[in-house]
Amino acid sequence: MDTSDLLITLQVAGLATLLSLVVGLPIAWVLARYRFRGRAVVEALVTLPLVLPPTVVGYYLLRTLGRGSAFGRFLEDDLHVQLVFTWQGAAIAAAVLSAPLLIRTAQAGFEEVDPELERVAATLGRSRLGVFFAVTLPLAIRGVGAGVALAFARAAGEFGATVMVAGNIPGETRTLPVSVYDAVQAGDIGRANATALVLIAISITCLLLFSFATRLVRR
Amino acid sequence: MRDGNAAMAMVNVAVRRRMRGFDLDIAFSAGTEMVVLFGPSGAGKSMTLKTIAGIARADAGRIAIGDRVLYDSAADIDVPVRQRSVGYVPQGFALFPHLSVAQNIAFGLNGASADRRRDAVRELVAATGLVGLEERRPRQLSGGQQQRVALARALAAQPAILLLDEPFSALDTALHADLRELISALQAERGIPVLIVTHDLSDAFSLGDRVIVIEAGRVMQQGAREDIFYRPATRRVAELVGTRNILPMAVRGIGDGQVTLDWAGRDIEAGIYPSHDAPPVSVGQAVEASIRPTQIMIRRQGDTYEGRRNVFLATIVREIMGAEVYRLFARIDGSQARDDLEIELPTYTYFRLGLDRFKEIELSIRPEAVHIMHGDRA
Repeated sequence: MDTSDLLITLQVAGLATLLSLVVGLPIAWVLARYRFRGRAVVEALVTLPLVLPPTVVGYYLLRTLGRGSAFGRFLEDDLHVQLVFTWQGAAIAAAVLSAPLLIRTAQAGFEEVDPELERVAATLGRSRLGVFFAVTLPLAIRGVGAGVALAFARAAGEFGATVMVAGNIPGETRTLPVSVYDAVQAGDIGRANATALVLIAISITCLLLFSFATRLVRR
Repeated sequence: MRDGNAAMAMVNVAVRRRMRGFDLDIAFSAGTEMVVLFGPSGAGKSMTLKTIAGIARADAGRIAIGDRVLYDSAADIDVPVRQRSVGYVPQGFALFPHLSVAQNIAFGLNGASADRRRDAVRELVAATGLVGLEERRPRQLSGGQQQRVALARALAAQPAILLLDEPFSALDTALHADLRELISALQAERGIPVLIVTHDLSDAFSLGDRVIVIEAGRVMQQGAREDIFYRPATRRVAELVGTRNILPMAVRGIGDGQVTLDWAGRDIEAGIYPSHDAPPVSVGQAVEASIRPTQIMIRRQGDTYEGRRNVFLATIVREIMGAEVYRLFARIDGSQARDDLEIELPTYTYFRLGLDRFKEIELSIRPEAVHIMHGDRA
């Protein structure tokens, strides 16, 4: 196994999980707290990456982020941000595919929190954001923690979309799952075995964290 | 602190809100006192409280505490919940399960210095009898202790008003008296108005300086406690406040501060209250009068003395035994009344009078206890 593959994988999965959290938590909270027109559509869109082939998601991300689109040209020419064929691009691809897991799990966690507690917190002078961080998030920490563990595992194991957007550049964008494929293609069974074992270890660790999070007793 | 406070009312509430089944349209005012919103479940009492707290929206109206306007649909004022300065204790208390008792109480003191928070918590823990429980979690507390934490938490930020939604419904009856006393003491000490929603008659009576009777989104009657319980304006209010003797009568004569009524063939005198703005009655008019079952004096026949007013011979025809009180149904001699008169008396009195053996009794009713209701108009 190549150590750089592991480091890149952890980087990609870490950034992807962070992106999923920043974008996903507010969505999860809104879905848990509000009944609005078009809610079913939002829920379907949020869940869509779970059922689409990752290569399809990766293909559209590549089209959007690359020079082929106006947005991609804006990123590269005006902001001087290159995402295609970088590990950051891989992280965005992995985030799109792992965010649904985080959103749905966190949403279930938020739904367990009695809204009456949030209303009382508001009467005690807290702002919406203050209520979220002082009451909602601590009480939903099991759901959110479980969502983070699942999202990290999913991001670390992502292959199809990552390879579409970031390619397979050893030492730059090659993650462990890509490396397994690469090794098998090259007939390097030793590297394939070692890499696969590391991936299994990462997945098992995440699942242990997941079950720890769901069993977390409220202090 | 009773009735004259309308002029210097601290609390002025008028809210309208469309609800399932009926429209809420509530208006009342009150002073710096204990105010009970009383009525059956689903009458709109809790919703009224929530619109004052700001956690439910009124469709129109005006809410003011002192000279602070919290909501005024005409002036487009709607102060956000967090700036309303209301102490709100919901049904079930809604304590934060992840925080200790002390942290719960200090929750409303977010902006204050650590010193001030500690002092405020210490003071409130003492005032509500929670000393020694500061580090406990809510789930380690009894219902009564949880209620005390909720009160302390609501009072910590020095609110302008305290709102309690069914404060006793989750608690054993044995705890009610202690907590009533605590709430009264806190009200007196803080000098703020306290609004209490309850459907419980005895809680309403013992807590409310002022009582607002609400049914199906409307105020049926508001006034000092005694006015509501002993002098209900309408038959419906009389029923809601537990007056079980509602009797059809006819006016026979009007004297000085007194009205003589015909009660199914027997004369009975009713007092007239100067404080009560009942419309004048005229001779021959059919009226309904109420007599609370606890307002009747009872003696065994043979102990009769002559010359008293509103004295009736009667026979007990039915009895319902309770733990503390007996409910008796008496038929008045020489009366054609359709309904028997309901009387409530302590178990001790029942046996002391030998009523377990003797059913022939003599009743006397103070004229002040016979209350003429001025019809079903709110």
